[in-house]
Amino acid sequence: MNEVKVLTGIARAKGRAVGEALVSEMRFGWTFASVSNDGGIIMSSENPLNGECVKGKIMVYPTVYGSTLGSVGLYYKCQVSKVGPTGLICRNVHEIDIAGAIAGEIPAVDCLDGDPIQEIRSGDWVEIRADEIGKEATVTITRKASS
Amino acid sequence: MKLDQKQQQMLDGKFGEARRVAMEKLVDFGAAVGAQEMVPVSFVLNGCPIQMDRSHPDLPTYDMGHSPLYDKFIEIKDARVADENQTICVNDPYFVQIDKYEESGYPWNFSWGDGEYKLPKDIYDGYVRGHESLTKHGWIMSQSCNSHLTTRMPRYGEYCASSESSVAAYLNTFTGARSNRESTVNTVYAGYTGYLPKYGMLLEENRLAKVIVELTDEVRDKMTDPADWAALGAVIAEKGGNRIPAVVNMPPLLSPTAGKCLSGCVSAGMNDPMLHIIGSGLPESRTLEAAFGGTLPKDVERQIVTLDDVRECYAKLDWAKSDKVDIVVFGCPHLTYDEVRQIARLVEGRKVSPNVHMWVQTDTPSYHLARQNGEAKIIEDAGGKIYHSTCMGMNPVRTWSHDLNIATNSFKYVKLVGGGGQGWHFGSTSDLVNAAVTGRFVSTRW
Repeated sequence: MNEVKVLTGIARAKGRAVGEALVSEMRFGWTFASVSNDGGIIMSSENPLNGECVKGKIMVYPTVYGSTLGSVGLYYKCQVSKVGPTGLICRNVHEIDIAGAIAGEIPAVDCLDGDPIQEIRSGDWVEIRADEIGKEATVTITRKASS
Repeated sequence: MKLDQKQQQMLDGKFGEARRVAMEKLVDFGAAVGAQEMVPVSFVLNGCPIQMDRSHPDLPTYDMGHSPLYDKFIEIKDARVADENQTICVNDPYFVQIDKYEESGYPWNFSWGDGEYKLPKDIYDGYVRGHESLTKHGWIMSQSCNSHLTTRMPRYGEYCASSESSVAAYLNTFTGARSNRESTVNTVYAGYTGYLPKYGMLLEENRLAKVIVELTDEVRDKMTDPADWAALGAVIAEKGGNRIPAVVNMPPLLSPTAGKCLSGCVSAGMNDPMLHIIGSGLPESRTLEAAFGGTLPKDVERQIVTLDDVRECYAKLDWAKSDKVDIVVFGCPHLTYDEVRQIARLVEGRKVSPNVHMWVQTDTPSYHLARQNGEAKIIEDAGGKIYHSTCMGMNPVRTWSHDLNIATNSFKYVKLVGGGGQGWHFGSTSDLVNAAVTGRFVSTRW
């Protein structure tokens, strides 16, 4: 039987999204040099997720890493090249990523009532409901029984 | 968020469509970060767009992602920045010096072994179009990571929007002007409106120190090379644990070069772009008490930086698998004229190895000073290339051969471009010049 958990947090960018989680324990950045704008491939030799693809994923990470270009990198991958994530979950969604998520039209959530880095594993199925910026948002985590 | 009359009129479209659109976006962002008001910005720094068909297959490889945000403004005939809103709008460098596109041996057009790279003509043409459009809009095409040093230096207490992290850190740390590491989304909108929601580093309460980072006397006395300052910045950022540090025992007078290199730690090292240099002339950093908001907390954490920490940082940033060097690149952030002179002195009368590209990248005024005063000729006579308006790292370095080894004195390059697959060396200016001449990197700094 699948295990389901619901966490509550704050919406920093609005929207609804579903997808498989990809969890980075390290801070994470969205620049063209960190995640390719054409393929959505992570290019960070220090991150264990190096080489993974973010397309269609719910990205979970502590907070931003690196350049302010992460904002437009996120926007571009979501809205132009269509290789971006479907949503963001962070301990703290940094303003660089808030701007990118709003422009990229994907939800971003933080201040959850559980540490997302601990509560969510890569491969979990995650649903985000973040309907109004600054208001309560929910994150529903579904983990397959066998995992 | 409260808007004043002018801001509301801008939102209502009374100052044209470009400003209406931009203000609307800033209002959305202000709500997301809980801003209470908008403030005028005196300095905006962003990037130049590539203006071309968005379906072009090469575009995702070359566009940082910012260009489509400009499309709407380029479509609007009367879009302007700067004139009415007292805001100076400048640019970061991009991938090519426009007037030297066809010349080879530069990071936009060079070869190695059996491989070569050239910025595609379509992308170049799109970039030139973007350059022309922004010039018409009133942007100053300074195209430098040191635009504050070469155009207008913001003053204490002014609000700024710099998407160049090292500039934001320099402004907060050395002038007391206030800037976030502003997202490259918001800086487009800030340019056209002259405003930004007051949030983050623009608020006094977010500028306070959270940790003390103290340098030993040995560290204070031995930082001389630009690479030393870059490494020291990296160590301070690491010791600070992504918190704003109050830095104790820093040399009292830092040159613009030292300050620039130190500020380069921010993007890769920490998120809040500010160091309190205790004892500096800035009211908010003059004393430890001031840095912590009036009273020094009893249980404040204190970290010590030793020379071993700096040595270790050098070693960690030098991780190429062999001592071979294919590219030596100076100027991330862009070299000051002083640094250009230092490189020219070191390379004068010598010859760069035919197997090495030595790239000296600086801002436009420093380039022309070096052209006028002879340093450019010395560098070129030695076989190096000096250029302006350009950042090597804005080219898709990951598409270059992964067998290349690149040597630099930039913490920022190693951390932010170093994931492209090449090997990287980190060293002092003299070690880098020696590497360019011999084709081998040997660290002698410590």
